Amino acid sequence: MSLFTSCSLKTTEGLRSVTLDKTEVFNPYFSNSTTDYVYKAKINIYGRYFGGILIVKKLKPDTHRVVFTTEFGSKIFDFLYEDDTFTKNFVVEDLNKKFIVNTLRNDFKILISERTEVKEQFASGNNTVYRTETNNRFNFYFFDKSGNSLERIVNSSKRKEKVEIVFSSEVKNVAQTIKINHANIKLLIDLEYFKKL
Amino acid sequence: MPKFVILLFLIGCSTFTYSQDEVMASSEVIKFKEQVIAASKMTQTITSDFVQYKHLDFLENDIETSGKLAYKAPGLVKWEYTNPYQYSVIFQKDELLINDGGTKSKVEIGSSKLFKKLNELIVKSVKGNMFDDSDFEVSYFTSSEVNKAIFSPKDRKIATYIASFELHFNKLNGAVTEVKMVEPSGDFTQIVFSNRLLNGTLDDAIFTN
Repeated sequence: MSLFTSCSLKTTEGLRSVTLDKTEVFNPYFSNSTTDYVYKAKINIYGRYFGGILIVKKLKPDTHRVVFTTEFGSKIFDFLYEDDTFTKNFVVEDLNKKFIVNTLRNDFKILISERTEVKEQFASGNNTVYRTETNNRFNFYFFDKSGNSLERIVNSSKRKEKVEIVFSSEVKNVAQTIKINHANIKLLIDLEYFKKL
Repeated sequence: MPKFVILLFLIGCSTFTYSQDEVMASSEVIKFKEQVIAASKMTQTITSDFVQYKHLDFLENDIETSGKLAYKAPGLVKWEYTNPYQYSVIFQKDELLINDGGTKSKVEIGSSKLFKKLNELIVKSVKGNMFDDSDFEVSYFTSSEVNKAIFSPKDRKIATYIASFELHFNKLNGAVTEVKMVEPSGDFTQIVFSNRLLNGTLDDAIFTN
């Protein structure tokens, strides 16, 4: 039994620390710059429900645009991520509160981050798990045993899980559904990839 | 002259003619408004298909969604997307009834002036008769294909959301054929109507969630 730096996290229960088989972990789901990633979104926040459309586009290496609109097309928010620089292009007045913007900003940052340095690697019966570290937060990337398919990302502090992102993917490198769930706030974001017309 | 050059020339010409909008003379504006108001007065019900194109400058393709619209005088509107997902909104007096793929919710329009305005725009634009709206400056254009009314918001708050609101009308019968909402960034939403049916029977039950 080895000792983990994050021994109190539920996420690492039952996982064995193993030697690193790679230095970087890769999230493929928003990595193709020729794809318009368009999702139907359903958001539940503190019992209030609303829907919309989430659009993610990789503009160039390490640059993503993340836009959320209503079904009618009016913009709710419009974020730009360039390396570690974040630009809030637009946020509708009702949502333009620091707490909300920061929460969304962090969620989508996790979602679009493509390559991150691996600090620790774990194994379990079903998964290969990579731990990364950004601004005192951990991200645990759960891949299936073959290492090909990214199934979920758990974001945590040293002691507590904060956000869990679950992917389902039938087509390689395309996430058909994405669920973003928060542990400490009642916010659930459900995303479903647009089917072709 | 090689054929393709002639072809290019012709395509070039037709594009040129098409994009040639002329400002309407004031006498034409009066006639045009009368036509739309008369058409809107005799409108009891409308059903129509629509295709919506969401244009964002950074995307390869516009985002395309489509569905059906139903209107019943004086102010019931059901806007229903059927492709690529199921989503409908029923506009009633002071509330919106939403059905998002089976998840039903209700939104009180309440006191938000902006929200009221946006809803009013959607309801009014179905019939096209919104020339008397004091919140907008209206300019009128005509092309070989359609008549156009372009609404620019006077209110500064509305102007942060909408740069202009454009309605296209069938020249013969004054029916709305297209709605375009342009954002200050230049991105826009364009809705094109087809298979429009006027004054068919429309059961009230359609407007329940």
